[in-house]
Amino acid sequence: MKLRGGHNIRLAGRPSSEIRDLPAPSRLLIPLRSRRFHMTEIRVDDGRKVAAGDVLASDPENFRIPLLAPRAGTVRLEALEGHVVIERLEPFDVEHFDGSPAGGMPSHVEAARSDPTAKRRALVELGAWQFFSDAHSGAVLDPSSVPSGVIVSTIHLEPFVARGDVQLHGRLDEFARGLEHLQNFLEYQPIRLVVPDLATPFAKEIREAVAGYAFVQLVAVPLRYPFDHASVLARHLGLPHDLEHPVWAIPTAGIFAVDRALTFGRPVTERVVSLGGPAVDEPVHVRIPVGYPIDDVLANHVCREPARVVSGGVFSGDAMGEDRKGLDTETAGLTVLAENRSRHLFGFARPGWSRRSYGRTFLSGIRPTFAESMNTALQGELRPCIACGQCVDVCPAGIMPNVIHKYLYADEIENTIDARVDLCFECGLCSYVCPSKIDLRQQFIDAKRAIQEELEAIAEAEAALEVEA
Amino acid sequence: MRLVANMLDRARPLFEEGGRFNLLKPVFDAGDALFLSPLARTSVAPHVRDPLDVKRVMTTVIIAVIPCILASVYFFGLRMLAMFVVSYAVGLSIEVLSAIVRKEEINEGFFVTGALFPLILPPALPLWMVGVGVAFGVIVGKEIFGGTGRNVFNPALVGRVFLALAYPRAMSGAFVEPGSGPLGRVTQYAVDAVATATPLAAAKGGDFAPIPNLLIGNVTGSAGEVSSIAILLGGIFLVAVGIASWRTVFSMLGSFAILSAVMHGGSLEIVGWHMLAGGLLFGAFFMATDPVTSPMTNAGKWAYGIIIGVSAALIRNLTGYVEGVMFSILLGNIFAPVLDEAFIAASLRRLREQKA
Repeated sequence: MKLRGGHNIRLAGRPSSEIRDLPAPSRLLIPLRSRRFHMTEIRVDDGRKVAAGDVLASDPENFRIPLLAPRAGTVRLEALEGHVVIERLEPFDVEHFDGSPAGGMPSHVEAARSDPTAKRRALVELGAWQFFSDAHSGAVLDPSSVPSGVIVSTIHLEPFVARGDVQLHGRLDEFARGLEHLQNFLEYQPIRLVVPDLATPFAKEIREAVAGYAFVQLVAVPLRYPFDHASVLARHLGLPHDLEHPVWAIPTAGIFAVDRALTFGRPVTERVVSLGGPAVDEPVHVRIPVGYPIDDVLANHVCREPARVVSGGVFSGDAMGEDRKGLDTETAGLTVLAENRSRHLFGFARPGWSRRSYGRTFLSGIRPTFAESMNTALQGELRPCIACGQCVDVCPAGIMPNVIHKYLYADEIENTIDARVDLCFECGLCSYVCPSKIDLRQQFIDAKRAIQEELEAIAEAEAALEVEA
Repeated sequence: MRLVANMLDRARPLFEEGGRFNLLKPVFDAGDALFLSPLARTSVAPHVRDPLDVKRVMTTVIIAVIPCILASVYFFGLRMLAMFVVSYAVGLSIEVLSAIVRKEEINEGFFVTGALFPLILPPALPLWMVGVGVAFGVIVGKEIFGGTGRNVFNPALVGRVFLALAYPRAMSGAFVEPGSGPLGRVTQYAVDAVATATPLAAAKGGDFAPIPNLLIGNVTGSAGEVSSIAILLGGIFLVAVGIASWRTVFSMLGSFAILSAVMHGGSLEIVGWHMLAGGLLFGAFFMATDPVTSPMTNAGKWAYGIIIGVSAALIRNLTGYVEGVMFSILLGNIFAPVLDEAFIAASLRRLREQKA
């Protein structure tokens, strides 16, 4: 993972390009909560038999986006806290499921072939809409929203999430078809397709695949973290944050989801997930249904215990708690890191041949890049900021994390707003390089939320005053 | 490794809540952290972190002053080691006490102050004065402000300024002749204190020490500032590894050189002499670059270096003082927050126009 200025963080355990199918699970444990969704509206009864694609639950806060049954089986609601469990799974024919539609298509999908509104509805009902997000905030999009811009990205750089080139390999036809569908209900708005700025054979293939599409605008960006974050791309492209007309961001997997939903009318319940990190024996990509037990995924691939499983990449992913037992609908990668359990004699004063650092006090600086087996060690003690300025150097947003930290420490909210904490991409690089081990990223996320709530409260109070007047 | 870990584990309960030495917990923690890297884990993303920590930053500074320390022992005898011991003993005791009072961990910052302080003192200074100076520097220069990271002034310089103002005669009388020969004064404990003039003081009377002597260090002066080669060796290392800001060093030395050249009618020889004499190099590489007391913005560092360089040249050439670096850096420390304020405001103005 390259950064501005050429520093390269290479985490060991990069998933290979192989996409592996795992053995059929004995039961599915489908989490009701994921990064953005909280499926509180249960829409099946305990003990009922469901078919693949049936609605299990939905999120009332997020446009009633449904949670679909990935397989046919019997529903258990009480078996596992926070999960819907599907047991006694019926035999499942992958070929059949992936192939062209067998039998009649649901009527709304038929209708969707012509009507853009119905297409959007079909995307929501078939589980493809959740791949779409607001490029700036990452929030779930209103299915009826009119975008001010659409960004489709094929680059996924953070270690580790499912790589774009791996997912696209051999499936460019489907990808192109998905783009066509997307364009169709956008009503002739250009789609900005983000590709690497390298002349690799694969980049060439993508370019050729979409060459005939006038509605696709290719955007070449450097393969440099965090250029895979939608918010970075949106700002790079000069698409401002607009609540009325959001910028849509869609990852590679989202375009396949669109294709699957609109070409075949099939529910999207499988994901290609990367399985990587220093604690993984055989880092690969796996194709698994939502709800696949995480323990089963890890059982075959992870060598070291105890390990931390992160949903997403190591820089912005969340550690999966003990209570998360199955794959949720939003995870694009599982990164497994050994927990730090060992102490080293005079660790701080070692020459540092085997540890790369953004700073230059480590001997490894004279070595060529090497894959590094990092664990969850904080690598030091929490200290007050020493104003070294490394966070300013790495920040891709051009803000001054150390200054914002100072303001937050003094509880100066006005100054924090003026210092533009809202521009933070939450890429995590400042926290990564901080020698004082300050959790800058988390502080800024919390501050942004607090400011947002404050502003909303003020707006509400003003509205209430107006009503009184 | 196992042995140390076991010993620490066995002692740990004594310092925990309810243990017999609970009050001394910061001392135990510091020792623990000194020997073994911490067990701490990341609690939030990013889940991996860069291996650089504050301890390593401070250690690097200490490594960089080792040439100066060795040079000081060579030129001024083993008594220098006693000065380091006093500086560390007094300073650390205060650090420990304030850590206990504040219920915080002991900060690494003092390890640097403790090593730098004797190096900026006249080598024959009575040991009790070393203790008083470091105590004043650490208490007034740092702890009152809240400890390392929150101090405004460089603590070592605060201590030295206090000594210079409180005991002017003792200070100026403690400059002694350096040793020479293959062993220098390494086999001697103390120098018979025969006060001699420093090169800068002698220069006021038109007596310029030869430049090779300034480079090697066999001149009179503060313990660490005499050998320009030792300073450059450590200083360039410190800049190369990115701990000392090249902007501060470059702007301070550059502005000093330019202004001196103007005042001396462009005589390169005199400018070069002034660059090597006195505390300028030591101040530029080791004192002015303290990240805590210098500005955090890059533009601020340029301005800060220029303020120090210019005022050092002015004080040296136009006032009754022979040496101006100490006051100049403290002046720069005063300006650092103001400069930051100004340059941060400028960057924020630029940011304000940016759309989210």
